[in-house]
Amino acid sequence: MSEAAVRSEAGFLVRFSAAQRVEHFITMIDFVGLVATGLPQKFYTTGWARWMIGAMGGIDSVRWVHRFFGIVLIVAVLWHAAGALKAILSRRVGFSMAVNKRDFTDAVKTLRYYLGLEDHPAAFDRYDYKQKWEYWSLMIGNVIMILSGLTLMYPAVVARIGPGEIIPAAKVAHSNEGLMAFLVITIWHIFNAHLHPDVFPFDASIFTGKISRERMEHEHPLELARVEGREPDGHGHGHGHGHG
Amino acid sequence: MNMTKRLLLALAVALLAPAARAEIPAEQDGCLGCHGSDPSMSMDLPGGEKLPLHVDQASFAKSVHGDMLRCTDCHTDKGDYPHESKPFKTRRDVTVAYYEQCKKCHFSNYTKTLDGVHFQLAEKGNRQAALCVDCHGSHAIGRPGEPRTRVSATCSNCHKKVFDVYSGSVHGKAVTQGNADVPVCTDCHRAHDVADPRAGALSLRTAEICGRCHTDPKLMKRYGLSTNVVETYLADFHGMAASLQKGKKDKGDRLAAGCTDCHGVHDIQRPNDPRSSVMQGNLVKTCGKCHEGASADFPKAWMSHYEPSLKKSPLVWSVQVFYYVLIPFILISLVLQIALHLWRVVVNR
Repeated sequence: MSEAAVRSEAGFLVRFSAAQRVEHFITMIDFVGLVATGLPQKFYTTGWARWMIGAMGGIDSVRWVHRFFGIVLIVAVLWHAAGALKAILSRRVGFSMAVNKRDFTDAVKTLRYYLGLEDHPAAFDRYDYKQKWEYWSLMIGNVIMILSGLTLMYPAVVARIGPGEIIPAAKVAHSNEGLMAFLVITIWHIFNAHLHPDVFPFDASIFTGKISRERMEHEHPLELARVEGREPDGHGHGHGHGHG
Repeated sequence: MNMTKRLLLALAVALLAPAARAEIPAEQDGCLGCHGSDPSMSMDLPGGEKLPLHVDQASFAKSVHGDMLRCTDCHTDKGDYPHESKPFKTRRDVTVAYYEQCKKCHFSNYTKTLDGVHFQLAEKGNRQAALCVDCHGSHAIGRPGEPRTRVSATCSNCHKKVFDVYSGSVHGKAVTQGNADVPVCTDCHRAHDVADPRAGALSLRTAEICGRCHTDPKLMKRYGLSTNVVETYLADFHGMAASLQKGKKDKGDRLAAGCTDCHGVHDIQRPNDPRSSVMQGNLVKTCGKCHEGASADFPKAWMSHYEPSLKKSPLVWSVQVFYYVLIPFILISLVLQIALHLWRVVVNR
């Protein structure tokens, strides 16, 4: 998650390592599993939720399956955090998801471009501000989901350590954060990875690991310039129409 | 005959007619000639019991059937005299042999009893299981539930221990004071199709059973009680799990707590009564029935049927408000940015 893209066959660069692709795949399946077993519990009075819970073998088995996926998420997050820590500690590769001042100016510039106040959108490095926002939102979300989920799984243990009110608060947090994650993913991630005009119908790079040089030039010109050992263009942009 | 005489005759007929109607149909069989005169009339049964054979005409006349049934309507085999001899050994034999007479007229209630726990026991050979006449009586049948206190008193004939517990509860005490608002046995257990409460099926339905009264605003206002109790229960874990487990009957499943699991069943007291299982000091023990290792602060995990508020549970309330603001804010921002982006793409083309 931290190294830069490297040259691959003609016209393509390797953007994601095999480990990163596996991680994304596991997270994707796990997320679907958590949503499928979690949302019906939140909306259990509705017909569709009752049908889903019945189809999955009743509320007791839905809860066990949800806990299983929850534990998978915990392992995945710890694994990812260990990888990130290793990248930060090693001097050779930095932590490319770190938020910096440039992300804020990029966001302002891109929004101004959308509004027609700017000729070009901002030029991005390895991850643009939207990708960083989604990454950190889901990271913070995962921590909230894991802590509140464990609280709901072991209420008696938690009430021995802290005030009992944490438990209903954890339920409210878990239920709302889960709903928000679901909505953000369906709206934002599906737009950016599928419906976005530049990638439509499907941005496959997280599965194949590869990205075309043309797309790099377009979406991550600063990283491309660095990989190719040259200074970025004046406005860091190869094409007339924009993408953020 | 002159006019005056005619008028007098008409008047006499009009006055005598009600008196003639007061003669009950049971008398028309002539049974009461023998069975209505000697109060000590009885018959020795081979089992050693005495079967009383006297019918108190006055109490039968007052009963719900007094002005419509003849003796042979129920005692169908007793039309002839001398009566055909039957091989009854005990009084119970007599009851078991005759109770099905009721179904001729009361068919729908009779079929309901077939789903009841009493019939299930009777079918397995338990001869003490309640039959129609055990609850309703035979000759002196009154309107059921009049007065309401009579219902629980009737059940107490067999269920004495439970009745004593109930009499000491908040509901039972009110019944003995003549309060008609509180539940008697049949309000929760039903009358004819009494479910077997031991399988747990009844405890999963308590939200609905207790909710019949405890969500009625008019009724609860009289006692200053909240009508929000079922809604807050259903909004939490226990209520969700219980309502999804409702159809289940397998004993092996871990069933979620219903109303009675915390408040008690027959021994329900006001929550501020020291004997109440949901009184603050008793909560740790009550939660501990299911939640192993429940500590002193564990009962606070349950918001005592209160909606989260700044006063009652500030942490829960704050988290709720946080998300009520955050979720719409985030979603509107994202959708707005997508819309602007697409608009720019279209404009550039």
